[in-house]
Amino acid sequence: MIEYISEFLLIFFIAPFLVGLIKSFKMFMLYKKPISPMQPYRDFSKLLKKELIYSKESSSISRWAVFGVLVPIITVIFILPPITSSSFYISFMDAFTITGLLSLSTFFLMLLGLDSASSFGGLGSSREAFIAALVEPAMILTIFSVSLIGQNIGIAKASINLANNFPLQHAASYILASISFFILLIAENGRLPVDNPETHLELTMVHEAMILDITGANLALIEMAGAIKFTIFATLFATLFIPFGSHMVWYLAFAIFILKLIAISIVVALIEINGAKLRLFKVPNLLGIAIVFAFLSLVTFYIVGA
Amino acid sequence: MFSFNSFSILFVILILLGVIPNLFYTAGYLPHIKRKKYFIVNYIGFIASMLGVVLANETMVFLFFWEVMSLTSWQLILTENNKESLDAGRFYFFMTHFGFVFVLLFFLLLSSNSLFSNFEHIKIAIEGFKYPTLLFFLIAFGFLSKAGVAPLHVWLPYAHPAAPSPVSALMSGVMLKVAIYAFLRFLFMFDSWELEWGIIILALGALSSLIGVLYALAEHDIKALLANHSVENIGIILIGIGVGMIFTTLKMPLLAAFAFIAAIYHTFNHMSFKSLLFMTAGSVLHQTHTKNIEKYGGLIKLMPITAYLFLIAAISISALPPTNGFLSEWMIFQSMLSTSGISEISLKISFPFAIFALALTGGLAIACFVKAFGITFLGLYRSQNAKHAKEVNIAMLAGELLMGVVVISLMLFLPFIIKIINSSMPIANIYNKIFPNMWVMHSVSNNGGEVSPLILLFALLGVTLFVLLFFNAINPKVRVYHTWACGYQTGAKSQYTATGFAGPIRRFFKWLYKPNVHTHTQNLAGHETKFSSSFYEVHIKPLFEASLYDGTKKIVNLISYYVYKLSHFEEFNYAAFILNLIILILFSFRIFYHEISWGSVLLEVVVMTIIIKILIFRDKK
Repeated sequence: MIEYISEFLLIFFIAPFLVGLIKSFKMFMLYKKPISPMQPYRDFSKLLKKELIYSKESSSISRWAVFGVLVPIITVIFILPPITSSSFYISFMDAFTITGLLSLSTFFLMLLGLDSASSFGGLGSSREAFIAALVEPAMILTIFSVSLIGQNIGIAKASINLANNFPLQHAASYILASISFFILLIAENGRLPVDNPETHLELTMVHEAMILDITGANLALIEMAGAIKFTIFATLFATLFIPFGSHMVWYLAFAIFILKLIAISIVVALIEINGAKLRLFKVPNLLGIAIVFAFLSLVTFYIVGA
Repeated sequence: MFSFNSFSILFVILILLGVIPNLFYTAGYLPHIKRKKYFIVNYIGFIASMLGVVLANETMVFLFFWEVMSLTSWQLILTENNKESLDAGRFYFFMTHFGFVFVLLFFLLLSSNSLFSNFEHIKIAIEGFKYPTLLFFLIAFGFLSKAGVAPLHVWLPYAHPAAPSPVSALMSGVMLKVAIYAFLRFLFMFDSWELEWGIIILALGALSSLIGVLYALAEHDIKALLANHSVENIGIILIGIGVGMIFTTLKMPLLAAFAFIAAIYHTFNHMSFKSLLFMTAGSVLHQTHTKNIEKYGGLIKLMPITAYLFLIAAISISALPPTNGFLSEWMIFQSMLSTSGISEISLKISFPFAIFALALTGGLAIACFVKAFGITFLGLYRSQNAKHAKEVNIAMLAGELLMGVVVISLMLFLPFIIKIINSSMPIANIYNKIFPNMWVMHSVSNNGGEVSPLILLFALLGVTLFVLLFFNAINPKVRVYHTWACGYQTGAKSQYTATGFAGPIRRFFKWLYKPNVHTHTQNLAGHETKFSSSFYEVHIKPLFEASLYDGTKKIVNLISYYVYKLSHFEEFNYAAFILNLIILILFSFRIFYHEISWGSVLLEVVVMTIIIKILIFRDKK
């Protein structure tokens, strides 16, 4: 139980660090003077103290949809796979619940974009709806594939199965699924080939456009939700597709887990500095790759046979 | 005459759940209707006939109530008596009788001596019938065309919105379910199913769900949007039924039972949230006097209760947790994941495609309901109609609230509802497998998942409470100010429109939509980028309407043209016609003596064509 709670706290509190790390690593690679990876914590504490401005045009949705964005994401942390194999985990929520909760959060974020009557908000919501609609099938197919390889649709049990006895004959479909999942990790979190988190140019922004009218503490909550969402995806990738280290003593397991998260963040940063943002209508091509890889993964699984 | 078996009672419960809130709503809506007596008679007749169909246990009784149901709903569509409803009524009348022909044929084939035979006899006749596939196709055409399954769905987005809003709610929410009931009732009378039937139903379901949601996204008429979503949800129900049929033929009764329960549970859910959506959309329509979604905006400030009820139903229909829509879609997904027992690899590989279709449908449904809710209720009013809207009267609100209660209780009392559904269907009893305890719902397959709606709900509420406490502890200073619009004034015109919102998706699915775009821009003094006014309009004609229906229409028109000519001949033409017939008989007489050579046949065809062309259809106009 202690491990379960500390996993929750770890994921909750490491989230801003990972986002800061990506940013700082990118700046380092581009020969800029890097910011500290701890910068997001400072930003959050600053935002929490700031004045909160609600738009005159907005409705009661703006007052509470922020919680609708953050709460499902925090709830997902409770049902993530365990870091150590001896730890307590929640078995009665499966992968579909996780995707559902993430969609619920996106749903409220899109409403938030439409609420302030600005054209930016609508623009962001419209693009996000487009991307989210195409991410959904890729996500579900990948999960389906992982659940077949890990012999359980419950994400926690699947990760334990994978760590205990890895099915070597399904390595091909496993790798295909992991590529598909990594593309989803990038697309769902609005990282570079899909969305640029650092720009405020109306041609390119998706996520930033929706939250343009959010200020102060509300902005802190939304940014926190984004950071946790990234950490959730990184955790899923670390536990499902890099399944080792969970058998060790708890402090080693935690250390390996943190290293895995950092490694994933650095890979994301490397992809970001080596590519430009795709045009919105090229994004389906990238997501199409994810969908095709998920299909291939399933077909390979069936052909190799259980 | 009537039978109160458990399956019928299940659907009686469904109808009553849909009808009782609707009665309140109708009571509030009634002052809005001009022809009151006409409406009330048809409305009551409609409800009674639906109950009659569900309870009927004799062929004639069933057919009678089925036809009364069609006719009263047809009359209800015509209540408002304008051009739109006349067209919709005509289309509906034709399509519903197109289906009726197949239903009638089904019964005529089976009831050999009298149409008053009991359904027990029908069951025996089905089991003894030599060509069960024919019977299956007859009920599939007959009942599923009424349920609005693609490609026989095109009438639905015209017919349902044309009726007054309470009737739209009944038609989409309840009448479609009666068609599903009839399909299942007769399906369960077969003693065995072919594997192909299940695959056909699964494919039809996947097709309907995608087609429904894609055309819903392109729609600007709020009621037509909801009607297109009915096509989608009927598709989801059919996916469940199809999976159930496939597993039944593969001798996996537990999985089959799970899939059937999922389908019926989704039937209940769709009844609840679609009725609620039509009621709330009807309230909006009632206040703003327009169905065009582009004319709404900012209505949440003027009619908050309606808006929040619409939001609940929208979350539920988008299959977002922890609502009932999520739970039934979860069950259908779970039933499709259990492919490990299937030995045939092609069938195994086809399941991911159905999953893909269902998942894409879910993603697009979210986009569609963000559009519907966001454009209707959020932002600033886009027209004077929306500016002066008020909350509707208390009876209509009561109807909406009751339906909201139905939506929420379908989620809260999940185990109880699953138990009722399971015990009232002729399938394996798996209630104890799904719910070993009350809290957690299990899938029956060996690597299946679990979900616990109540714990999820409490977790969400608990975390919300926690975040709220944190938020109150910070206690930020609040100021209210205009939205920043890059130095310009924030106005209704600077907002995104529904057309714009669906733009990326419309562009991505251009090959399907084939949109017909009109733009008109008044440029300023030769500048290419500066303009005083600009106009953008996009029309989308459904693919199936453009190909299947219009094609059929053309052929029928062609045939009727010649029939018309035939009946308006002069005497000379009739004489030539008789001559032609005689020649035809003379020519074809030789066939009986097997004296056919291609040369002579060709010669005879040429002779006959010349006679037809010259003597009968001389002038081509």
